[in-house]
Amino acid sequence: MRRRFQSLQFQLALRLALLYVATTAIVLGVLAYRAYETAGSLHDRELSLRAEDLAGSVVRDSAGNPQLDLPPSLVRAYALGAGADIYAIRLAGGRVIAASPPSFADRINGWPAPGEDPSYFRLPGLGESSDTYYGLSIALDSAAGPLWVSVAHAGEAKTLVLSLLWEFGNDLTWIIPGFTVITLAIGVFAIRGGLKPVRELSAMAATIGPHTTSLRLPEKNLPSEIAPLVHAINHAFDRLEKGFAVQREFTANAAHELRTPLAIVTGALDSMDDRGDLANLKRDVARMNRLVEQLLRVARLDAISLDVSDPVDLEGVAREVVSTMAPWVIAQGRAVALAGSDGPVWVSGNEHAITDAIRNVIENAVLYSPGGEEIEVGVGPDGSVAVTDRGPGIPVSDREHVFERFWRGAGLGIEGAGLGLSITKDIMARHAGSVLVEDNPPGGTIVVLSFNLHGS
Amino acid sequence: MRLLVVEDEPRIAQILHAALRSAAFAVDTVGTCDDAREAFSVVPYDAAVLDLGLPDGDGILLLKELRIAGNRVPILVLTARDAVEARVGGLDAGADDYLVKPFATAEVVARVKALLRRPGGALGTTLAAGNIIFDTIGRDVRVADRVLQLARRQSTILEHLMRRLGRVVPKSVLEEKLYGYDDELESNAIPVHVHHLRRKLIDAGANAEIHTVRGIGYLLTEPRS
Repeated sequence: MRRRFQSLQFQLALRLALLYVATTAIVLGVLAYRAYETAGSLHDRELSLRAEDLAGSVVRDSAGNPQLDLPPSLVRAYALGAGADIYAIRLAGGRVIAASPPSFADRINGWPAPGEDPSYFRLPGLGESSDTYYGLSIALDSAAGPLWVSVAHAGEAKTLVLSLLWEFGNDLTWIIPGFTVITLAIGVFAIRGGLKPVRELSAMAATIGPHTTSLRLPEKNLPSEIAPLVHAINHAFDRLEKGFAVQREFTANAAHELRTPLAIVTGALDSMDDRGDLANLKRDVARMNRLVEQLLRVARLDAISLDVSDPVDLEGVAREVVSTMAPWVIAQGRAVALAGSDGPVWVSGNEHAITDAIRNVIENAVLYSPGGEEIEVGVGPDGSVAVTDRGPGIPVSDREHVFERFWRGAGLGIEGAGLGLSITKDIMARHAGSVLVEDNPPGGTIVVLSFNLHGS
Repeated sequence: MRLLVVEDEPRIAQILHAALRSAAFAVDTVGTCDDAREAFSVVPYDAAVLDLGLPDGDGILLLKELRIAGNRVPILVLTARDAVEARVGGLDAGADDYLVKPFATAEVVARVKALLRRPGGALGTTLAAGNIIFDTIGRDVRVADRVLQLARRQSTILEHLMRRLGRVVPKSVLEEKLYGYDDELESNAIPVHVHHLRRKLIDAGANAEIHTVRGIGYLLTEPRS
């Protein structure tokens, strides 16, 4: 959940959503205010026009008295009864010459004289109408001399405005959320698109390990916000690679330097007369020799980048390994055999590494399978080497551990250094191949190394 | 038989010296290329053990020099270098065999003997494995000093197993040695001969043993001392 909140997409969406809500509120507020204002002035203009119309309709009759002569359409408009606009026309001085409804005439008596600029009034409840009237009084010239005209309209300017606002608001209710969603979608997609190289970088970074320290993340086509981070990470990788190189060199050198003193001890023991614990001592030194040898192989494997593209005859390599190891295997009281393919099996790889891989599995089979049973090395035409022993087998729970460095099965003797199979696994990984531990149905273990056929 | 050991590490030289002497060789030991050059020019050694990392030069160069000068003495190269480099560099330069440090002295002795057992080597005429003695000139095989009668093909097989004592001899190599290209060869001809040879050796009380490496070939091992 926390991750979600930290996502750039989420943060952008949240902020944009807040922005839209705030903007909508402000826009609506401003609109309403402006609408009210505009409506007010429209109302004033309308009333002023009415007043001028009324003044224009005042004429002198045959007796010379001023009187109102409205066109029929206006008469009908003012005669609509409750809710219709009202007016009163007075001669300068105060005498009412026309009013609608007549009750307005009574109310207007005594009102002060209006000036050239309109004066505004508010008139509560008139006659049977309970509406409040808002209007203006203004002094105007007419054909019948100066007039005081008062015009009023039922209710405030609000009604119209409110309905306008309401309609506008209704439209906004649909438009603004829609707009919000579209903008958010654009934002999210922009971020997604912008972060796509980052996902690719992550995938690439995931493949960087102790064997691939030379890999660097590409710094091209990156969003400029991320480029400095990637650059810094690559620099960190540079420093790590150097550290790794120093470590590897140290291991290789240490193992290498140990060879001479070990050769001395081994030789000295060989030349001593056999007595007492000498056999045990020789076994201990032999184990140390193996350990140093394997350490050196590990260091060498770590230090070099293997070229695994050569065509290698797997059958020939297996034959060579079995031939070379046979004297040792036989000295351990076991037998070893080569089986399977009759002719060459061409795989892609590095001959020396494949030799190491197969040798380690055979060594392991010999060390961990008691008894004089034969160890069979079978080469398959599919590019596989299966090493079958008749030993105690490897419990399923231990199978994932046998490839760990320095791991040894419980109670299985102490001769091995625990490096052999981890080296094999390394080598197989470098060959994009696989190593599988299976049960040998009549008892024992089958370790299968699968390489890729050359040219496939 | 006289051997030269070229090794600058005094303790290793000492150990090699002792081991080879107890195998009944006369051993000279030198520690530099210059001394080795001088020794080779004076004494016709039967074989040499050469360490590659010497204080005054590279053993490989010394080896090349010797071969260019026409000296064919069998040479076992000792090296602490990577197996790959040693194999390519050493054998190209004319080494007959090589061992990577750390090695067992017994292995050095065995390898030196193997070099000497080659045809033309100092031990090439009379081969020995355990209590088996093979006179390659008289074609005479003795087990514990008693003559053992072997068929021609059986003795040829035994000779090659003895020349490569302790190492696997591929079945294909034995086939080449036993049969000409025109000979009709049954697929189980060699196994049958080996089977009979093994039986005869066991019956005669031989203490060297023929092992089968199924799918590859055979090897003869001496009894463990």
